[in-house]
Amino acid sequence: MNLRRIKFFPNLTICCLSLIMMTEPMAMGLRSFVALPVEKNGGVIRLFYQRTTDTDMFATSAAYGLSAEQTLLLGLSYLSSGENNRRGDTSVLYRHIFWKDDSLAGTNRLGFLGGVIIPEDKDQKVTPQAGLVFTHFKDRYEIDFDTLYQASTKNRTANARYDLSWQYRLSPAVRPDWGLATELNSVLELNGNWSEGNNTTHQITGGLQWVSAEWIIEGGLVKDLNNQYELRSVLSTRFHF
Amino acid sequence: MIKRLIIISLTFNLSFIDKISARALEVDVHGMTCAFCVDSLQREFSKIKSVSKVDVSLKLKKIRLETDEQEPSFELIKQTVLNSGFTPINIRVLTDEPTQD
Repeated sequence: MNLRRIKFFPNLTICCLSLIMMTEPMAMGLRSFVALPVEKNGGVIRLFYQRTTDTDMFATSAAYGLSAEQTLLLGLSYLSSGENNRRGDTSVLYRHIFWKDDSLAGTNRLGFLGGVIIPEDKDQKVTPQAGLVFTHFKDRYEIDFDTLYQASTKNRTANARYDLSWQYRLSPAVRPDWGLATELNSVLELNGNWSEGNNTTHQITGGLQWVSAEWIIEGGLVKDLNNQYELRSVLSTRFHF
Repeated sequence: MIKRLIIISLTFNLSFIDKISARALEVDVHGMTCAFCVDSLQREFSKIKSVSKVDVSLKLKKIRLETDEQEPSFELIKQTVLNSGFTPINIRVLTDEPTQD
């Protein structure tokens, strides 16, 4: 069983890290970190925890705004399963928003993602990754979609993932004229992971986000649609600085 | 007594100069969507020395600024909104009158 867990670790690491790194700015899904808008010289740090029946995963993601359109995204993870503890791979992504359509009611943004996965295992090589991220925000709801492809390298098969999230502001129904009240969003998220030679796995996540101007606390439950794993819980917090 | 009169006079004059040089502006911004957007704009405008007060409305998609009479320029205000990741639409001078707290 332990051997199975150990073999499972690299894929889990890639999958989780990919999913976490996918979503970005301000609001976004629970499992992705690429849709988030970050102002020039601004930053966001996210601390993420995922619990399954036999594995705990901690991840830290950071986003730094090089400009309003250019963001650097960094992801680190740490996995713990019984006596087996290890650091996961490091994901480095550059995001460039190349199309933007801002309106009074919201925004549409399309961005390119490019970067590398730096493996923790020295026998593996640095893996290039590239993808797209799209955000649609209007009135009380937001839809984020991102997809990322990781090329095959020595000892690692090609991998791809997607994340589609829908967020709806539950409270307040009407925002104050000036200033900001803390907000509560519901989140429904579908994401999946494909790796060469294996089945594609899909997951659905439902959760809540408690949002203030400087921090977000969010949590949810993840169901694997392929029934390979039990229900997982995720909890994370983000800080804007 | 003379010293007191000088101090009172100086205080009055400085207060008058401070009030007469205030300016209130309203900026229409598109693309604002969330609480972090409000924080981004507040942080960026607070870095500008000539801006004394920043209010952001996520509902109205507006920023209200209290600034010095001449600074910051409209160009700097637009650039600050752009650097925050949003689109400036319009800047209006609400008043050049002295502002009252």
